[in-house]
Amino acid sequence: MNPTEQFELTRLAPIHLFGVDASFTNAAAFMLLAALGVVALMMLATAPRALVPGRGQALAEALYEFVASTVRSTAGAEGMRFFPFVFTLFAFLLIANLIGLVPYTFSVTSQIVVTFAFAAFVISTVVLYGFWRHGFRFLKLFLPSGVPAPVLLILAPIEIISFLSRPVSLSVRLFANMLAGHITLQVFGGFVLVLTGGGIWAILAPIPLFATVAMFALELLVACLQAFVFAVLTCVYLNDAIHPGH
Amino acid sequence: MSSPEQGDSDDLRARLAALSASLRKREAERREDGAGTSPVEGSFGRAMSVGLTVFSEFAAAIIVGAAIGWQGDIWFGTAPLLLIVFLLLGAAAGFWNVYRVAAPKEPPSDAP
Repeated sequence: MNPTEQFELTRLAPIHLFGVDASFTNAAAFMLLAALGVVALMMLATAPRALVPGRGQALAEALYEFVASTVRSTAGAEGMRFFPFVFTLFAFLLIANLIGLVPYTFSVTSQIVVTFAFAAFVISTVVLYGFWRHGFRFLKLFLPSGVPAPVLLILAPIEIISFLSRPVSLSVRLFANMLAGHITLQVFGGFVLVLTGGGIWAILAPIPLFATVAMFALELLVACLQAFVFAVLTCVYLNDAIHPGH
Repeated sequence: MSSPEQGDSDDLRARLAALSASLRKREAERREDGAGTSPVEGSFGRAMSVGLTVFSEFAAAIIVGAAIGWQGDIWFGTAPLLLIVFLLLGAAAGFWNVYRVAAPKEPPSDAP
């Protein structure tokens, strides 16, 4: 009945390396499952290489086209060199979000450690690529053009803080959406149990049951939408690394 | 009496004007649907996701500003001066982030 019990980590296979707790947890197990799910979708479904795609191949192709058009429209033609990265990120997060919605599974993306690791990786890629590609001209990102010098003195720190807040907001958004959704589902499910065990109140039990069904549909939308939002923002940030200074 | 060239250029100008008018109308219609241009949308799912977006953008900037100020105070021993300054800068950056979420998007410069 505890709505946060579903987020607890359990050690499936305790491993201690050099005094570091590197146990194989349920989170690791479900991450592995999500990665295998992506590989299965991409390799098995497209294995026939049919000219007229079957159901699985059509899904894989639609996913590919969708991410490709997103990258092209947000990061420009040059952004396509990051397509494998963005596609991997999107596919993994999508499958992990969807697996988390199956009852009795563990939702990997409702752990802020996981989402922050992804966000930090994205931002380090942006910073490293920006400096590699443009050198110190990358810092023009923090100096909007056409602004007088005294205003820049205030504006540059604001822009820098705004840039540094990106990994935080990127990770908190995905984490908060998944956490809030799973807790809501659990609480509504708990209402059904409480009402059913409450004598005459049992006649009211179907109301939260239907609410749970509606919430589940909503969560399905949120799971897909948040994976997409993460991918789009990754592209937007990569666009800053490719074209700084505007 | 107009020469054939002048007639052509008048014709061209009229066609250009018609084209830009229809382009403007398209753009206005696109804005009307609000396809990704404005975060103010109808359904509850969208509304919740937009709300969490704005919250995370705003809160993240303040948290980052406070963290910089806090660490700066520890390094330079100026407590609580830097914390206050960077907290205010963080709040400004938070509003700037929220503005960027709400402002209409512009396409990248080399989009095909």
